[in-house]
Amino acid sequence: MIKQGSDPIIDQFRSITEKPAEYAKALKEKGQLLAGYMCTHIPEEILYAAGIVPVRILSSHISQSVTRSYIHETYCSFSHDCAYQGLLQNYNFLDLIVTSSSCIHMGEAFNVWVRFAGFKQKSYLISFPHIIHNKNASLFIKESYKEFKKFIENFIEKAITDEDIEKAIKTYNRTRTLLKELWNFLKHKNSPVTGSEVATVTLASQIMDKQEYNRMLEQLIRELKNKPGESSSSSVRLMVTGGACDDMTVFNLIENLNYKVNLIFTDSCTAARYFWFEVPENRSDKLEAIAEGYIGRIPCPAKDTVPGTGEKKRFRFIQEFIQDFKPDGIVFLYQRFCSPQSMDIVALKPVLNMLGIPWVELELDTTVPMTQFKSQLEALVEVIKGVRP
Amino acid sequence: MAYNLKSWGEFKTYQNTCYRNYAFASKGLRCMGSTWSPLAPLKGLGDDILIIGGEPHAASTAGTFPEEAREDIIASEIGGLGFHSCSYLKLFVGEVIRDKIAIPDGTIKEGYPKPDLIWTTHLCNLHAKWYQEVSRRLGGIPMYPIDMIGGGSAEKNSQIVDYVCRQIEEGINWLERVTGRDFSDELFIRAARNEIKVLVLWGNICALNRHSPAPLDERRLIALFPPAMVDRTTDETVKMYEKLFDEVKYMVETGQSVAPDQRYRIVYFGLAHTYGHPEMARILRDAGAEIVASVYTFGTAGNFKGIVNGDWSWDPLDPKWVDELDLSTRRKAIIELVKIVLGWPTWQGVRSYWALESMAQAMITEYKADGLLLAPSRSCETDFRNGYIGIQRIFKNKIPTVEYDSDQVDVRKMDLPGAQRKTELFVHLMEAHKKGGI
Repeated sequence: MIKQGSDPIIDQFRSITEKPAEYAKALKEKGQLLAGYMCTHIPEEILYAAGIVPVRILSSHISQSVTRSYIHETYCSFSHDCAYQGLLQNYNFLDLIVTSSSCIHMGEAFNVWVRFAGFKQKSYLISFPHIIHNKNASLFIKESYKEFKKFIENFIEKAITDEDIEKAIKTYNRTRTLLKELWNFLKHKNSPVTGSEVATVTLASQIMDKQEYNRMLEQLIRELKNKPGESSSSSVRLMVTGGACDDMTVFNLIENLNYKVNLIFTDSCTAARYFWFEVPENRSDKLEAIAEGYIGRIPCPAKDTVPGTGEKKRFRFIQEFIQDFKPDGIVFLYQRFCSPQSMDIVALKPVLNMLGIPWVELELDTTVPMTQFKSQLEALVEVIKGVRP
Repeated sequence: MAYNLKSWGEFKTYQNTCYRNYAFASKGLRCMGSTWSPLAPLKGLGDDILIIGGEPHAASTAGTFPEEAREDIIASEIGGLGFHSCSYLKLFVGEVIRDKIAIPDGTIKEGYPKPDLIWTTHLCNLHAKWYQEVSRRLGGIPMYPIDMIGGGSAEKNSQIVDYVCRQIEEGINWLERVTGRDFSDELFIRAARNEIKVLVLWGNICALNRHSPAPLDERRLIALFPPAMVDRTTDETVKMYEKLFDEVKYMVETGQSVAPDQRYRIVYFGLAHTYGHPEMARILRDAGAEIVASVYTFGTAGNFKGIVNGDWSWDPLDPKWVDELDLSTRRKAIIELVKIVLGWPTWQGVRSYWALESMAQAMITEYKADGLLLAPSRSCETDFRNGYIGIQRIFKNKIPTVEYDSDQVDVRKMDLPGAQRKTELFVHLMEAHKKGGI
């Protein structure tokens, strides 16, 4: 098992996730065009085809009160923290800031950047459906992407060709394939990599230039294939499902309890929801292909309802992940004030109860309450292991 | 002397009748959903359509039965809904959990009347999820959510209008499938014209408050628009709002008002939060200050010109325009209905800070406001919280501006003493501003 600090590639990914602005700034200094983004519903492929590296705006987990006078306190800490990055002018070097009309909270963070952090003239909001599983959504998305592409073409003063887009689609699909391969290590009881390391590597993908990222990840996977994993047959396998979480201390905590625990899957927009899909390749209509890919993602709870039945499609994915990754318990991990998450959880709990899978619910804030979370997680493990008080 | 509205009783009776019919009818089709949905398509299914809408029902229940409302909210939380989730939603789901329904005529009916279908919208993070939960708890009610994309001037964006129209066309096919009924274009078109007319009439009634004294106060505005939210598709509603329009025009002509002492005119951005709203109104009234315009009472069930040449206009639309609309086919009626529903100011502000700012600026100017009062609703995911803090930051140097926290219907989230102090401060600020002190 690779311990923290024992693999140089993972360490490199970790240092990028710890200082994302520094990584982006270094790219900028090399003359790279950069676009910050707030939500993973943006079609990164279009930006990449234009020669722009998309960099996800992440939070710093520093307790602050500055943003309380810009956005309401009942917005999630992730949105506050991302807004804070703009107000601190940590990303002033970005050429653009982009988001899609997705969750209300991140929309407000974007608005703070636009209204109060000097990004008014270099921002773009992509109109995106709030229900992605309706027949007309794909056409709507395609039209939105067309407008976005036009905006980017004006910005770079150059046409984006189909060839450029196809190349970007393939690069991004390569990232997705590699990430799936990495996550699949966690299916095995003797995985050569831990869940928290996988989460860190995945988070780095949202910040880095994908070509550089793919090269590093390919090398890491090659190494991992040749490394014997440590047998973890007595470990408790926990799966996380929830919302954005870029605080890797939570995942480290899960794997460093007083019991042996393996984090084996994370369904969130900072983890599997970011990459667990593919954009169809070699299609004649590139934007339609991208739209189809993004519709096929594990849905964000804020957009997940099927007209006619009201079904939540995300639940199908969760059940598939449970079958494939075989968790002993589930951790609901989501941002405090994120109502769509809590509305999903209330319906997911009975499903898990039927499957006989215990769960625990943890609400995230700016900083992680380590002792509280530790107690809750250990209680879950004790339920799973049948520990008697 | 304060004017007594003659139409008042008729409005209350209409609203109560709609709810009674939904709660007690032994036949007919019970339809549930957000009353922010275009309602006319439901009426194409027949003349026995009974509608209950989440937001106005939750609001009127909380106003009529504060203790019941509290129990409903707590029942939802015990049932697993989050503390921070929308309190309208929790009250509504709480009734389902407690298997009873309360209606504003004072009746509490044991046994929750199960809807036959859910026809609703999705715009904020939570709207459709509300009804997913109701559907799940009631064993799987067929549900059709419509994706309403707002954002400043959605009704003038052909791509958005077409997107919503196509969803409604498919929704009509779905309605036929799940009910086994034939859809009548004739009934639909009639209902669509009524729906558009009521929304336009309400916009005109609100616009009369530009006069001084403003004929209607916030309390009347709050009470007079819910019938339009409950069911605005009937001939009866059109007649009611036409009559009210005539009455308010008469008030303007004769210089009368329900609250004639108006030293200060206030623009209000916030919901009618059941707890604390009367207390704030009392503080304002004691100082001769009245809310004469609010995005909530105007924009939830009213239509205006919206964005014109890049800026918001609260000018109303001509009611005659509705009579002349070509609604001769299903498609034409859907397009006009979608445009009007997408045009609601409250839609436009949800995802567009610039539209919200433009609305505030226009309202302050057009209604000659002395102050801007903001009351973000703690658990509301729409524009009744979004952007308000930013608006305060922008407007505080232009006009006396104060913000206090509120909540739709959850008493626990209302800091009443704090809100009262801020409202008192607001009055002092307006006075000082008028005297040239600040």
